[in-house]
Amino acid sequence: MFAQQVAAAQPLLIGLLLLWTSYGKLANPEEAEKTALPKLVGEKRAKPAYRAIGIIEAALALALLSPPAWTAEVLAATALGLGFTGYLIYAKVVVPEASCGCAGKSAKPVGYRSIGRALLLTATAAVALTTTQGWWSAGPATFILIAEAAAFIALSPELDRYWLLPLRRLRVRLSHPLAGTASTTVPLAATERRVILSPAYRAVTGLLRSDVRDYWDEEDWRFVSYTARYDGRSATAVFAVPHSDSESVRVAVVDETSGQTLYRPALLSMAS
Amino acid sequence: MTSTMDRRALLTRAALGATGLVAASAMGSLAPEAAFATSAQAPDPGAPDPNFAEGLITGRNQDLLQVKGSDGRLHKIQLTGVTSIWKLRPTTIDQAMIGDGLYARGVKLPNGVLAAESVWLNIVNLDVMINSISRTGLNLDHFGQKIFGHVQEGVTAAAYNGTPAISDLSLLKVGRHVQVIGAWRPGTSEIDIATIYAAN
Repeated sequence: MFAQQVAAAQPLLIGLLLLWTSYGKLANPEEAEKTALPKLVGEKRAKPAYRAIGIIEAALALALLSPPAWTAEVLAATALGLGFTGYLIYAKVVVPEASCGCAGKSAKPVGYRSIGRALLLTATAAVALTTTQGWWSAGPATFILIAEAAAFIALSPELDRYWLLPLRRLRVRLSHPLAGTASTTVPLAATERRVILSPAYRAVTGLLRSDVRDYWDEEDWRFVSYTARYDGRSATAVFAVPHSDSESVRVAVVDETSGQTLYRPALLSMAS
Repeated sequence: MTSTMDRRALLTRAALGATGLVAASAMGSLAPEAAFATSAQAPDPGAPDPNFAEGLITGRNQDLLQVKGSDGRLHKIQLTGVTSIWKLRPTTIDQAMIGDGLYARGVKLPNGVLAAESVWLNIVNLDVMINSISRTGLNLDHFGQKIFGHVQEGVTAAAYNGTPAISDLSLLKVGRHVQVIGAWRPGTSEIDIATIYAAN
Protein backbone atom coordinates (compact mmCIF):
# COMPACT_ATOMS: atom_id res chain seq x y z
CA MET A 1 0.00 0.00 0.00
CA PHE A 2 2.76 2.42 1.06
CA ALA A 3 4.87 1.37 -1.94
CA GLN A 4 1.93 2.22 -4.17
CA GLN A 5 1.66 5.65 -2.59
CA VAL A 6 5.39 6.26 -3.02
CA ALA A 7 5.07 5.32 -6.68
CA ALA A 8 2.03 7.58 -7.04
CA ALA A 9 3.91 10.55 -5.56
CA GLN A 10 6.72 10.42 -8.15
CA PRO A 11 5.01 12.39 -10.95
CA LEU A 12 4.92 15.46 -8.65
CA LEU A 13 8.72 15.45 -8.33
CA ILE A 14 9.28 14.62 -12.03
CA GLY A 15 6.85 17.38 -13.03
CA LEU A 16 8.57 20.02 -10.88
CA LEU A 17 12.00 18.92 -12.09
CA LEU A 18 10.94 19.12 -15.74
CA LEU A 19 9.38 22.57 -15.18
CA TRP A 20 12.70 23.80 -13.80
CA THR A 21 14.78 22.32 -16.65
CA SER A 22 12.33 23.53 -19.33
CA TYR A 23 12.46 27.06 -17.92
CA GLY A 24 16.26 27.01 -18.21
CA LYS A 25 16.06 25.92 -21.83
CA LEU A 26 13.32 28.34 -22.90
CA ALA A 27 14.81 31.35 -21.05
CA ASN A 28 18.36 30.82 -22.38
CA PRO A 29 18.08 29.15 -25.81
CA GLU A 30 21.55 30.49 -26.74
CA GLU A 31 22.98 27.92 -24.34
CA ALA A 32 22.36 25.36 -27.10
CA GLU A 33 25.66 26.41 -28.71
CA LYS A 34 27.64 25.19 -25.71
CA THR A 35 26.03 21.74 -25.72
CA ALA A 36 26.66 18.71 -27.93
CA LEU A 37 23.54 19.53 -30.00
CA PRO A 38 25.38 21.41 -32.81
CA LYS A 39 27.46 18.26 -33.35
CA LEU A 40 24.42 15.96 -33.14
CA VAL A 41 21.81 17.82 -35.23
CA GLY A 42 23.88 20.50 -36.99
CA GLU A 43 24.71 24.12 -36.16
CA LYS A 44 21.50 25.59 -37.57
CA ARG A 45 19.12 23.16 -35.93
CA ALA A 46 20.75 23.18 -32.48
CA LYS A 47 18.80 26.16 -31.12
CA PRO A 48 15.35 25.06 -32.42
CA ALA A 49 16.02 21.52 -31.17
CA TYR A 50 17.02 22.85 -27.74
CA ARG A 51 13.87 24.98 -27.58
CA ALA A 52 11.72 22.05 -28.75
CA ILE A 53 13.06 19.88 -25.93
CA GLY A 54 12.19 22.67 -23.51
CA ILE A 55 8.63 22.83 -24.85
CA ILE A 56 8.25 19.01 -24.63
CA GLU A 57 9.54 19.11 -21.05
CA ALA A 58 7.14 21.92 -20.10
CA ALA A 59 4.13 20.18 -21.70
CA LEU A 60 4.98 16.87 -20.05
CA ALA A 61 5.53 18.58 -16.70
CA LEU A 62 2.10 20.24 -16.83
CA ALA A 63 0.48 16.95 -17.86
CA LEU A 64 2.15 15.13 -14.96
CA LEU A 65 1.20 17.79 -12.43
CA SER A 66 -2.43 18.14 -13.45
CA PRO A 67 -5.20 15.50 -13.34
CA PRO A 68 -6.03 13.02 -14.71
CA ALA A 69 -3.14 10.61 -14.11
CA TRP A 70 -2.40 8.77 -17.32
CA THR A 71 0.13 5.97 -17.66
CA ALA A 72 1.10 7.45 -21.04
CA GLU A 73 2.47 10.58 -19.29
CA VAL A 74 4.72 8.51 -17.04
CA LEU A 75 5.74 6.35 -19.98
CA ALA A 76 6.74 9.50 -21.87
CA ALA A 77 8.74 10.70 -18.85
CA THR A 78 10.57 7.34 -18.73
CA ALA A 79 11.38 7.60 -22.43
CA LEU A 80 12.57 11.19 -21.94
CA GLY A 81 14.81 10.09 -19.04
CA LEU A 82 16.30 7.32 -21.15
CA GLY A 83 16.79 9.76 -24.02
CA PHE A 84 18.58 12.24 -21.75
CA THR A 85 20.85 9.49 -20.39
CA GLY A 86 21.79 8.34 -23.88
CA TYR A 87 22.36 11.91 -25.08
CA LEU A 88 24.59 12.78 -22.09
CA ILE A 89 26.71 9.66 -22.55
CA TYR A 90 27.04 10.58 -26.25
CA ALA A 91 28.04 14.15 -25.30
CA LYS A 92 30.63 12.99 -22.78
CA VAL A 93 32.23 10.60 -25.28
CA VAL A 94 32.00 12.62 -28.52
CA VAL A 95 32.13 16.26 -27.36
CA PRO A 96 33.76 16.10 -23.89
CA GLU A 97 34.03 19.89 -23.57
CA ALA A 98 30.29 20.41 -24.22
CA SER A 99 28.13 21.59 -21.36
CA CYS A 100 25.08 19.62 -20.27
CA GLY A 101 22.56 22.31 -21.13
CA CYS A 102 20.18 20.43 -18.85
CA ALA A 103 18.87 23.33 -16.78
CA GLY A 104 20.06 26.50 -18.40
CA LYS A 105 23.30 28.39 -17.83
CA SER A 106 26.23 26.21 -16.88
CA ALA A 107 29.68 26.18 -18.46
CA LYS A 108 30.59 22.91 -16.79
CA PRO A 109 31.19 19.95 -19.10
CA VAL A 110 28.93 16.89 -18.81
CA GLY A 111 30.00 14.92 -15.75
CA TYR A 112 28.97 11.72 -14.06
CA ARG A 113 26.62 13.68 -11.80
CA SER A 114 24.54 14.89 -14.76
CA ILE A 115 24.36 11.33 -16.13
CA GLY A 116 23.45 10.10 -12.63
CA ARG A 117 20.64 12.68 -12.47
CA ALA A 118 19.23 11.49 -15.82
CA LEU A 119 19.38 7.89 -14.59
CA LEU A 120 17.59 8.88 -11.36
CA LEU A 121 14.90 10.62 -13.43
CA THR A 122 14.46 7.46 -15.48
CA ALA A 123 14.28 5.31 -12.33
CA THR A 124 11.67 7.51 -10.60
CA ALA A 125 9.56 7.54 -13.78
CA ALA A 126 9.86 3.74 -14.00
CA VAL A 127 8.69 3.45 -10.37
CA ALA A 128 5.70 5.66 -11.18
CA LEU A 129 4.72 3.23 -13.95
CA THR A 130 3.70 0.70 -11.28
CA THR A 131 0.61 2.69 -10.25
CA THR A 132 -2.30 4.45 -11.87
CA GLN A 133 -3.04 6.74 -8.91
CA GLY A 134 -2.45 10.48 -9.10
CA TRP A 135 0.18 12.18 -6.88
CA TRP A 136 -2.62 14.07 -5.05
CA SER A 137 -3.72 10.77 -3.53
CA ALA A 138 -0.25 9.77 -2.29
CA GLY A 139 -0.79 11.06 1.27
CA PRO A 140 2.19 10.95 3.69
CA ALA A 141 4.33 9.17 1.05
CA THR A 142 4.80 12.61 -0.49
CA PHE A 143 7.40 13.31 2.22
CA ILE A 144 9.66 10.70 0.59
CA LEU A 145 10.02 13.23 -2.20
CA ILE A 146 12.02 15.53 0.08
CA ALA A 147 14.82 12.94 0.23
CA GLU A 148 14.58 12.36 -3.52
CA ALA A 149 14.67 16.11 -4.19
CA ALA A 150 17.81 16.32 -2.04
CA ALA A 151 19.38 13.61 -4.21
CA PHE A 152 18.47 15.55 -7.37
CA ILE A 153 19.95 18.74 -5.89
CA ALA A 154 23.14 16.88 -4.96
CA LEU A 155 23.41 15.62 -8.54
CA SER A 156 22.86 19.08 -10.08
CA PRO A 157 26.14 20.96 -10.73
CA GLU A 158 24.03 24.04 -11.60
CA LEU A 159 22.91 24.30 -7.96
CA ASP A 160 26.36 23.86 -6.32
CA ARG A 161 26.76 27.58 -5.76
CA TYR A 162 23.63 27.64 -3.59
CA TRP A 163 24.67 24.93 -1.14
CA LEU A 164 28.07 23.34 -1.83
CA LEU A 165 30.07 26.57 -2.15
CA PRO A 166 28.57 28.13 1.03
CA LEU A 167 29.31 24.88 2.90
CA ARG A 168 32.93 24.90 1.72
CA ARG A 169 33.22 28.61 2.60
CA LEU A 170 31.95 27.88 6.09
CA ARG A 171 34.43 25.04 6.52
CA VAL A 172 37.34 27.25 5.43
CA ARG A 173 36.17 30.03 7.72
CA LEU A 174 36.02 27.69 10.72
CA SER A 175 39.45 26.18 10.08
CA HIS A 176 41.51 27.30 7.08
CA PRO A 177 43.43 24.30 5.69
CA LEU A 178 46.35 26.54 4.68
CA ALA A 179 46.55 28.44 7.98
CA GLY A 180 50.07 27.10 8.63
CA THR A 181 51.66 28.45 5.48
CA ALA A 182 52.81 31.80 6.86
CA SER A 183 56.60 31.90 7.25
CA THR A 184 59.34 34.48 7.56
CA THR A 185 60.89 33.49 4.20
CA VAL A 186 60.35 36.23 1.63
CA PRO A 187 58.79 34.84 -1.58
CA LEU A 188 60.86 35.40 -4.73
CA ALA A 189 57.89 37.26 -6.28
CA ALA A 190 58.15 39.88 -3.52
CA THR A 191 61.92 40.23 -4.04
CA GLU A 192 61.49 40.62 -7.81
CA ARG A 193 58.93 43.34 -7.23
CA ARG A 194 61.33 45.23 -4.97
CA VAL A 195 64.12 44.87 -7.51
CA ILE A 196 61.96 46.13 -10.38
CA LEU A 197 60.82 49.17 -8.39
CA SER A 198 64.36 50.08 -7.30
CA PRO A 199 66.62 52.84 -8.75
CA ALA A 200 69.33 50.17 -9.07
CA TYR A 201 67.16 48.24 -11.53
CA ARG A 202 66.46 51.34 -13.57
CA ALA A 203 70.22 51.94 -13.79
CA VAL A 204 70.94 48.55 -15.37
CA THR A 205 67.67 47.47 -16.97
CA GLY A 206 69.07 48.06 -20.46
CA LEU A 207 71.89 45.61 -19.74
CA LEU A 208 69.73 42.70 -18.54
CA ARG A 209 69.23 39.83 -21.00
CA SER A 210 67.53 37.06 -19.00
CA ASP A 211 64.98 36.31 -16.32
CA VAL A 212 66.19 35.47 -12.77
CA ARG A 213 69.04 32.97 -13.09
CA ASP A 214 69.74 32.28 -9.44
CA TYR A 215 68.82 33.61 -6.02
CA TRP A 216 70.08 33.01 -2.51
CA ASP A 217 69.95 34.45 0.99
CA GLU A 218 72.93 35.53 3.04
CA GLU A 219 72.63 37.21 6.40
CA ASP A 220 70.39 40.27 6.01
CA TRP A 221 70.32 40.18 2.23
CA ARG A 222 68.76 38.32 -0.63
CA PHE A 223 70.78 38.15 -3.85
CA VAL A 224 69.25 37.79 -7.30
CA SER A 225 71.33 37.31 -10.44
CA TYR A 226 70.51 37.91 -14.10
CA THR A 227 72.48 37.41 -17.30
CA ALA A 228 73.55 40.78 -18.67
CA ARG A 229 75.61 42.27 -21.47
CA TYR A 230 78.11 44.95 -20.71
CA ASP A 231 80.33 46.66 -23.23
CA GLY A 232 79.71 43.95 -25.83
CA ARG A 233 80.39 40.94 -23.63
CA SER A 234 78.45 38.59 -21.43
CA ALA A 235 78.26 39.48 -17.76
CA THR A 236 76.14 38.86 -14.68
CA ALA A 237 74.05 41.50 -12.94
CA VAL A 238 73.59 40.75 -9.27
CA PHE A 239 71.17 42.63 -7.06
CA ALA A 240 71.45 42.75 -3.30
CA VAL A 241 68.02 43.22 -1.73
CA PRO A 242 68.01 43.99 2.00
CA HIS A 243 65.53 42.13 4.19
CA SER A 244 64.94 45.36 6.11
CA ASP A 245 63.78 48.68 4.69
CA SER A 246 66.70 50.64 6.14
CA GLU A 247 69.01 49.88 3.21
CA SER A 248 68.37 50.35 -0.48
CA VAL A 249 68.68 47.76 -3.26
CA ARG A 250 72.22 47.55 -4.70
CA VAL A 251 73.47 46.17 -7.98
CA ALA A 252 76.77 45.19 -9.56
CA VAL A 253 77.58 43.96 -13.06
CA VAL A 254 80.27 41.29 -12.82
CA ASP A 255 82.44 39.45 -15.31
CA GLU A 256 82.33 35.96 -13.83
CA THR A 257 85.31 34.62 -15.76
CA SER A 258 87.69 37.25 -14.40
CA GLY A 259 85.80 37.99 -11.21
CA GLN A 260 85.94 41.68 -11.98
CA THR A 261 83.16 44.09 -11.19
CA LEU A 262 82.48 46.00 -14.38
CA TYR A 263 79.83 48.43 -13.28
CA ARG A 264 78.28 49.52 -10.01
CA PRO A 265 75.97 52.56 -10.00
CA ALA A 266 77.17 53.57 -6.54
CA LEU A 267 76.12 57.18 -6.61
CA LEU A 268 72.62 56.22 -7.64
CA SER A 269 72.16 53.74 -4.82
CA MET A 270 73.57 56.24 -2.32
CA ALA A 271 71.24 58.95 -3.58
CA SER A 272 68.22 56.75 -3.04
CA MET B 1 77.84 22.51 -6.17
CA THR B 2 81.14 24.03 -5.04
CA SER B 3 81.24 26.15 -8.18
CA THR B 4 77.72 27.40 -7.41
CA MET B 5 78.88 28.37 -3.93
CA ASP B 6 82.02 30.05 -5.30
CA ARG B 7 79.93 31.87 -7.87
CA ARG B 8 77.49 33.06 -5.27
CA ALA B 9 80.31 34.17 -2.96
CA LEU B 10 81.89 36.21 -5.76
CA LEU B 11 78.58 37.81 -6.71
CA THR B 12 77.67 38.47 -3.07
CA ARG B 13 80.91 40.40 -2.53
CA ALA B 14 80.45 42.30 -5.78
CA ALA B 15 76.86 43.30 -5.05
CA LEU B 16 77.72 44.53 -1.58
CA GLY B 17 80.63 46.55 -2.96
CA ALA B 18 83.40 44.54 -1.30
CA THR B 19 85.36 44.17 -4.53
CA GLY B 20 87.16 46.81 -6.53
CA LEU B 21 85.64 48.27 -9.62
CA VAL B 22 87.56 47.90 -12.88
CA ALA B 23 87.02 49.44 -16.23
CA ALA B 24 85.70 47.04 -18.82
CA SER B 25 88.60 45.40 -20.58
CA ALA B 26 88.70 44.39 -24.22
CA MET B 27 88.96 40.74 -23.22
CA GLY B 28 86.54 38.54 -25.18
CA SER B 29 84.68 35.58 -23.76
CA LEU B 30 85.64 31.99 -24.58
CA ALA B 31 82.53 30.40 -23.10
CA PRO B 32 79.42 29.27 -25.03
CA GLU B 33 77.98 32.54 -23.89
CA ALA B 34 79.90 34.00 -26.85
CA ALA B 35 76.78 32.96 -28.75
CA PHE B 36 75.29 36.17 -27.54
CA ALA B 37 77.85 38.17 -29.46
CA THR B 38 75.21 38.22 -32.16
CA SER B 39 72.72 40.82 -31.17
CA ALA B 40 69.00 40.12 -31.34
CA GLN B 41 67.37 40.73 -34.72
CA ALA B 42 64.40 43.02 -34.95
CA PRO B 43 61.35 41.01 -36.07
CA ASP B 44 59.84 41.83 -39.46
CA PRO B 45 56.32 43.26 -39.26
CA GLY B 46 53.77 40.45 -39.46
CA ALA B 47 56.42 37.72 -39.25
CA PRO B 48 56.98 35.56 -36.16
CA ASP B 49 59.49 37.00 -33.69
CA PRO B 50 62.76 35.22 -34.59
CA ASN B 51 64.05 35.61 -31.05
CA PHE B 52 61.17 33.74 -29.44
CA ALA B 53 60.07 30.10 -29.52
CA GLU B 54 57.37 28.08 -27.82
CA GLY B 55 56.35 24.45 -27.94
CA LEU B 56 56.90 21.01 -26.52
CA ILE B 57 60.37 19.57 -25.98
CA THR B 58 60.54 16.47 -28.19
CA GLY B 59 64.24 15.74 -27.96
CA ARG B 60 67.37 16.70 -26.09
CA ASN B 61 70.95 16.21 -27.18
CA GLN B 62 73.11 17.45 -24.32
CA ASP B 63 72.14 21.13 -24.12
CA LEU B 64 70.48 21.35 -27.54
CA LEU B 65 66.69 21.02 -27.34
CA GLN B 66 64.37 20.03 -30.14
CA VAL B 67 61.04 21.77 -29.76
CA LYS B 68 57.83 21.31 -31.71
CA GLY B 69 55.86 24.56 -31.74
CA SER B 70 52.10 24.55 -31.29
CA ASP B 71 51.88 26.03 -34.81
CA GLY B 72 53.80 23.02 -36.16
CA ARG B 73 57.15 24.82 -36.53
CA LEU B 74 60.26 23.02 -35.31
CA HIS B 75 62.83 24.87 -33.25
CA LYS B 76 66.34 24.07 -32.08
CA ILE B 77 67.19 25.73 -28.82
CA GLN B 78 70.65 25.90 -27.33
CA LEU B 79 70.90 26.19 -23.56
CA THR B 80 74.07 27.63 -22.10
CA GLY B 81 75.52 28.25 -18.67
CA VAL B 82 74.05 31.74 -18.69
CA THR B 83 70.51 30.77 -19.73
CA SER B 84 67.96 31.48 -17.03
CA ILE B 85 65.67 28.46 -16.54
CA TRP B 86 62.34 28.78 -14.77
CA LYS B 87 60.50 25.66 -13.71
CA LEU B 88 58.28 26.77 -10.86
CA ARG B 89 61.39 28.54 -9.56
CA PRO B 90 64.74 29.54 -11.07
CA THR B 91 66.57 26.26 -11.62
CA THR B 92 69.35 24.63 -13.65
CA ILE B 93 69.46 23.66 -17.33
CA ASP B 94 69.34 19.91 -16.60
CA GLN B 95 65.69 20.40 -15.56
CA ALA B 96 64.58 20.87 -19.20
CA MET B 97 63.13 17.44 -20.00
CA ILE B 98 61.40 15.78 -22.94
CA GLY B 99 57.66 16.37 -22.65
CA ASP B 100 58.01 19.77 -20.98
CA GLY B 101 56.25 22.76 -22.49
CA LEU B 102 58.62 25.65 -23.16
CA TYR B 103 58.80 29.35 -23.85
CA ALA B 104 62.24 30.61 -24.85
CA ARG B 105 63.65 34.02 -25.62
CA GLY B 106 67.13 34.57 -26.94
CA VAL B 107 69.13 35.27 -30.03
CA LYS B 108 68.60 33.49 -33.35
CA LEU B 109 72.00 32.38 -34.64
CA PRO B 110 72.82 32.30 -38.38
CA ASN B 111 72.55 28.47 -38.32
CA GLY B 112 68.90 28.71 -37.23
CA VAL B 113 69.51 27.68 -33.62
CA LEU B 114 67.98 29.91 -30.97
CA ALA B 115 70.60 30.61 -28.30
CA ALA B 116 68.30 30.91 -25.30
CA GLU B 117 68.77 33.68 -22.79
CA SER B 118 65.60 32.88 -20.84
CA VAL B 119 63.57 29.67 -20.78
CA TRP B 120 60.31 29.11 -18.94
CA LEU B 121 59.24 25.47 -18.58
CA ASN B 122 55.60 24.42 -18.25
CA ILE B 123 54.64 27.93 -17.20
CA VAL B 124 50.91 28.67 -17.04
CA ASN B 125 48.99 31.84 -16.31
CA LEU B 126 45.37 31.03 -15.49
CA ASP B 127 42.24 32.90 -14.47
CA VAL B 128 40.45 30.47 -12.20
CA MET B 129 37.84 30.19 -9.48
CA ILE B 130 38.79 28.55 -6.19
CA ASN B 131 36.37 25.62 -5.86
CA SER B 132 37.70 24.28 -2.60
CA ILE B 133 40.79 24.43 -0.41
CA SER B 134 42.62 21.50 1.13
CA ARG B 135 45.85 21.11 3.10
CA THR B 136 47.82 20.18 0.00
CA GLY B 137 46.39 22.66 -2.46
CA LEU B 138 43.48 24.26 -4.22
CA ASN B 139 40.78 22.77 -6.43
CA LEU B 140 40.43 25.25 -9.25
CA ASP B 141 37.81 25.76 -11.94
CA HIS B 142 39.15 27.11 -15.22
CA PHE B 143 36.03 27.80 -17.34
CA GLY B 144 34.55 24.44 -16.40
CA GLN B 145 37.84 22.53 -16.48
CA LYS B 146 38.93 21.18 -13.11
CA ILE B 147 42.55 21.78 -12.17
CA PHE B 148 44.33 20.91 -8.95
CA GLY B 149 46.89 23.48 -7.83
CA HIS B 150 49.53 22.02 -5.52
CA VAL B 151 50.88 24.28 -2.80
CA GLN B 152 54.68 23.94 -2.56
CA GLU B 153 56.17 24.92 0.75
CA GLY B 154 58.77 27.63 0.40
CA VAL B 155 57.66 28.47 -3.15
CA THR B 156 53.94 29.16 -3.31
CA ALA B 157 53.10 32.74 -2.45
CA ALA B 158 50.04 34.95 -2.64
CA ALA B 159 49.74 38.62 -3.52
CA TYR B 160 46.58 40.16 -2.09
CA ASN B 161 45.13 43.36 -3.55
CA GLY B 162 48.34 44.19 -5.40
CA THR B 163 50.52 44.20 -2.26
CA PRO B 164 53.89 42.36 -2.21
CA ALA B 165 53.60 38.57 -2.22
CA ILE B 166 53.65 36.73 1.09
CA SER B 167 53.80 33.04 1.94
CA ASP B 168 50.61 33.21 4.03
CA LEU B 169 47.84 31.56 1.99
CA SER B 170 45.22 31.67 4.73
CA LEU B 171 43.48 34.70 3.24
CA LEU B 172 42.38 32.77 0.15
CA LYS B 173 38.63 32.27 -0.06
CA VAL B 174 36.45 29.63 -1.70
CA GLY B 175 34.39 30.91 -4.62
CA ARG B 176 36.78 33.79 -5.45
CA HIS B 177 38.35 34.37 -8.83
CA VAL B 178 42.15 34.55 -8.77
CA GLN B 179 45.02 34.64 -11.22
CA VAL B 180 47.54 31.85 -10.85
CA ILE B 181 51.08 31.65 -12.20
CA GLY B 182 52.39 28.13 -11.94
CA ALA B 183 54.08 25.17 -13.54
CA TRP B 184 51.94 22.60 -15.29
CA ARG B 185 52.64 18.94 -14.54
CA PRO B 186 52.85 17.48 -18.07
CA GLY B 187 50.17 14.95 -18.96
CA THR B 188 47.92 15.86 -16.01
CA SER B 189 45.39 18.51 -15.07
CA GLU B 190 47.54 19.52 -12.12
CA ILE B 191 49.82 22.49 -11.61
CA ASP B 192 52.29 23.57 -8.95
CA ILE B 193 51.48 27.08 -7.85
CA ALA B 194 54.16 29.78 -7.88
CA THR B 195 52.10 32.89 -7.19
CA ILE B 196 48.40 33.54 -6.70
CA TYR B 197 47.06 37.05 -7.31
CA ALA B 198 43.88 37.56 -5.31
CA ALA B 199 41.57 40.46 -4.57
CA ASN B 200 39.97 40.29 -1.16
